[in-house]
Amino acid sequence: MNLDLKAINQCVRCGSCRTFCPVFEESGWESANTRGRIMILKGLTCGLQPDLQVLGSLNTCTTCGICTENCPAGVNPPEIIENARRQLVSLGKMTCQQADLSRNIFASGNTFGDGRDRLSWLTDRGILTKKADYVYFAGCMNSYRYTETAANTFALLNRFGATMLPAEQCCGSPLLRTGFDARRFIDENCRQIANTGAKTVITGCAGCYTTLKKSYPQDFRVLSVPEFLAERISEMDIKPLDLTVTYHDPCHLGRHNQIYEQPRQVIRAICRLKEMKTSGKAARCCGGGGGVRAGYKDLSLKMAKKRLEDVPGEVDYIVTSCPLCIRNLRDAGAGEKVIDLVDLVAMAMQ
Amino acid sequence: MTDILQELKGIVGDRVSASPGERCCYASDASQVVGLPDFVVRPESTSQISRLLRLCSEHLIPATARGAGTGLAGGCSPVRGGIVLDMSGMNRILEIDYENQQVIVEPGVVAEKLNFALKPYGFFFPPDPGSMAMCTIGGMLSYNSSGMRSVKYGTVRNYVLDLEVVLADGRVIHTGKKVLKSSAGYDLTRLFVGSEGTLGIITSAGLKIAPLPRTRKIVLACFEEAEIAGQAVIRIFSNGITPSACEILDRTTLQVLKLCDPLLAIPEDGDVILFEVDGTESSTSEAARQISEICQPTAKSVRIAVGAEMDSIWSARRLVGAAISRLDPTKTRIYMGEDVGVPIKEIPALIKKVQQIAVKLDIPAMKYGHIGDGNLHVALFIDVMNKEQWEKLRLAADRIHRAAMDLGGTVSSEHGIGLARAGYLPEQMGMEAFSVMQSIKKALDPKGILNPGKMGL
Repeated sequence: MNLDLKAINQCVRCGSCRTFCPVFEESGWESANTRGRIMILKGLTCGLQPDLQVLGSLNTCTTCGICTENCPAGVNPPEIIENARRQLVSLGKMTCQQADLSRNIFASGNTFGDGRDRLSWLTDRGILTKKADYVYFAGCMNSYRYTETAANTFALLNRFGATMLPAEQCCGSPLLRTGFDARRFIDENCRQIANTGAKTVITGCAGCYTTLKKSYPQDFRVLSVPEFLAERISEMDIKPLDLTVTYHDPCHLGRHNQIYEQPRQVIRAICRLKEMKTSGKAARCCGGGGGVRAGYKDLSLKMAKKRLEDVPGEVDYIVTSCPLCIRNLRDAGAGEKVIDLVDLVAMAMQ
Repeated sequence: MTDILQELKGIVGDRVSASPGERCCYASDASQVVGLPDFVVRPESTSQISRLLRLCSEHLIPATARGAGTGLAGGCSPVRGGIVLDMSGMNRILEIDYENQQVIVEPGVVAEKLNFALKPYGFFFPPDPGSMAMCTIGGMLSYNSSGMRSVKYGTVRNYVLDLEVVLADGRVIHTGKKVLKSSAGYDLTRLFVGSEGTLGIITSAGLKIAPLPRTRKIVLACFEEAEIAGQAVIRIFSNGITPSACEILDRTTLQVLKLCDPLLAIPEDGDVILFEVDGTESSTSEAARQISEICQPTAKSVRIAVGAEMDSIWSARRLVGAAISRLDPTKTRIYMGEDVGVPIKEIPALIKKVQQIAVKLDIPAMKYGHIGDGNLHVALFIDVMNKEQWEKLRLAADRIHRAAMDLGGTVSSEHGIGLARAGYLPEQMGMEAFSVMQSIKKALDPKGILNPGKMGL
């Protein structure tokens, strides 16, 4: 295997990650901790076979990046692990869940293998213009599961001249996180974005955001919905709401892209904000990322339950800005109390 | 092997693994000592450990206890295979008895979590290794570890009142009572502390705790060179002042600290001593003033830090040992020759000697540590892909160990012997003393199943 030994060797095995890794916290086995994963990768270069237990170790990393944030040696484990997943997949070493996920996406262009129209939630397609300054990239989750949020987001963005892609495809994030090649989808989305003439793509999904920003050619500016809203909040007809909410930082917006302040700015313009027990750089992962929800649902939900313990008392809503986090936190017991930032804005505009 | 696995499952259920991947994760700590276990077991109770050791004794299977695996000497690496007992799942604080100034904990409790639990009562467990955010009390007991505040508060050994220990044949003993002092019989408690799992497996500990000081302050004194800094430290102690911590940070360490936290307001143009004083507002102010005055004549700069600034300095200091790669990402810190200690008066000589060794071998060395108790941490860092640098590193570590012994010191002040420093132990102790250790080992572990190969035993 062609692993980046320099990056792997940077780990001094101090074990600092034991304090932070949310997967290790649930499992207790060293192989479920960042240090263990790095030792396994080193083992793979010395003859260790990638059996199911090894794949389980590498695939249970949510790539939340809290280990990166706290690693004294400056190691970036999610990057190392995603690289290893890629290598293993290229050798045909993958779990059934990985294979199913990629099959769905390659067959249907979305993570669910859903054959329905991606824009079924859009009542009037005539509103879509061929050319626009902005493109709203809805992502698979909002297109198929949280269509009301997609509709609310597009209604907001359309006021500023945003359109949508006629045949948006999965951004490629689930493929890239789990070790597959996503070029086909990246190329197709890029082609459609170029056709609109838009210089800015806006997305409400943290996974799509980090992928559009880091894995796509730098031909356009990428904005998350919280960034866009924070810039334009004064131009919106917002009425303050008598609510207290908390905010869950999605890992791929926060730690991966340092978007901490913008969503809070939007919330404060609408209602009271009470922070979670861990927030910002120290925010606990919801357990849904890195392909963990798809491959290890029970583990994923345990982490989400732990995250819900961070919610302060007497809040009306748990606001976040990632549909993956919304699904996991809802499924872990918070139900409809978890909402998207855009849904809060929509309430304030009613 | 299959039979053993079944027997292990009969004792701990699904908390056992024989998978190659899991075994690979338990092959080493942060040292270079590697040994692949045959099984990893995560026990949850004393009775399980008793049954496990009976099984090991019957089948002559090596048993190696492990906490968080943050050790630096290979103490938890199962160099003869067998079973690794991952004790980190036994992590309950069984009792906080602040009226009797003690706690009872399981060995898997993380040191920092114990202190979080004690804070509301106004108490703390003073030994504070740099790894206290993740290391376990069991690991600390096994290595007799300490940390930055040992200059005033001493090492783990000073705080242990009673241990529950499972012996090699599965018997369970208590080594002490719930009293703050006792003169009854041999001091078995102190024998097991620092024995690195070679005499028994510790399954709970009664620990003395101390009241939290009301306030702390640090004096940052910057000196032209480490030797001058070392002389200032000797003057502080000979003037009757005992800081709660007394740390040296050389120029390289300061650069790394800045990379860890660019906002730290620390000097970078010399070698810095951090003197921490704790107590009441007036006693700390007076001590800080005295320290400043004593340092002034030979220091380039002296200033006092408190509150959030002091906390940031300590946070960065705790991580600095592992952070050297931030200075040069092509190099990795290798823990060898990293924990020598000498009488305080010999510190300037040791620093000079280490510097000469590093220059002569052309190997970068960062020097930091608990200068107040004569403990110098030397961080050697190399390109691990380069064989020649490995050779130089081994040579440097050996010379540093020997330099410490020549100055009347020790090859390990707080990280332990494990396998990494086992070769030096007979020389440091003298053969007669070492043979007493061998006799004790034979008496308590006649079949040699407990952490075999460690400490030269």
